[in-house]
Amino acid sequence: MNILIGTVLLGAVALWLYLRLPNAEWRAAGMANAWRMAQFTAPRIIVALLGAGFFAELLPPEKVRALFGEGAGVSGVLLAIALGPITPGGAFVAFAVGAAALKAGATSSLVVTYVTAWSLYSASRFLAYELPLMGRQLALRRLILCLPVPFVIAGAAHVF
Amino acid sequence: MPSLKNIAADSPPEQPARRIFDTGFLFLALSALLAGVLVVVLKGWERAVEIALSELWFMTVLAPKIAAGMFIAATLPLLLPRDKVAIWIGRESGLRGLLLAALAGAAIPGGPAMTFPLAASFGLVGADVGAIMTFVSSWALLSLNRTLIWEFSFLPVDLVSWRILLCLPVPILVGMAARAVFGRSSE
Repeated sequence: MNILIGTVLLGAVALWLYLRLPNAEWRAAGMANAWRMAQFTAPRIIVALLGAGFFAELLPPEKVRALFGEGAGVSGVLLAIALGPITPGGAFVAFAVGAAALKAGATSSLVVTYVTAWSLYSASRFLAYELPLMGRQLALRRLILCLPVPFVIAGAAHVF
Repeated sequence: MPSLKNIAADSPPEQPARRIFDTGFLFLALSALLAGVLVVVLKGWERAVEIALSELWFMTVLAPKIAAGMFIAATLPLLLPRDKVAIWIGRESGLRGLLLAALAGAAIPGGPAMTFPLAASFGLVGADVGAIMTFVSSWALLSLNRTLIWEFSFLPVDLVSWRILLCLPVPILVGMAARAVFGRSSE
């Protein structure tokens, strides 16, 4: 159901954008850009989803419940935050890992904590993109300012 | 959204090409291969094939959504040139500037290779460090395209909604903290 709603929403926006392109030349350029992006993204999606499926199978549920289940406490929060930065690859990997952990018995609040930590501190993204593209000063300032966020979100998610 | 029609007379801007197979991809492929080999060793071929087929089916179900999302991400930069967005954000100051930066971060689709250069360009057109920090953290936490394509596909609606609600004020707070700690310059 989630997937259907997302598909309809994104399809409508894509169609609206297509119609807003001023002429055939722009529409061709839009399609060419989308095709280039597909060539870049498709191999990553295929490999990441296969990897995520295998990874989920290897997760031992009793370990996941012990580390991230009800009553995991502060150590669960710290571990969820620590796993965020070291998750490789794009968004699909992090969400697939979160979904696998949830199925194996992790609590929603720890999955939210993990996704937040990944969003803000992904090490591969920081080193490969943010540091070279933003420069050391801005990149480090952003990292320092965002440092407390997953801890605060973990606390808030736990309370709610 | 401002008028997009005044571009009809011009040609669409060129978009840069990217290398398809880089070290990031190699790392991802090796991790997937390692996990696959482990599943074969621990659970047998049959289970591995079963998982692979179910993942391929999931991908097929996601394909129309991913295609629409990619079309949006590929077309929007043509219609909303980066320099224009940067100028809007650079012109605004105060809370309005932060709100605009947060909105832009959530709404403008694209991966890190598109987002960070855009954020860096804000400084050149007069945006302060707070607006830049708000934009980057809003993109990282609240990117609409990413949530619609990926997050809702994997995680339950209530979990995603809670995460978004909890994270909603964060980019503005990060921007305000940046102004308080580092001042208003973008240096």
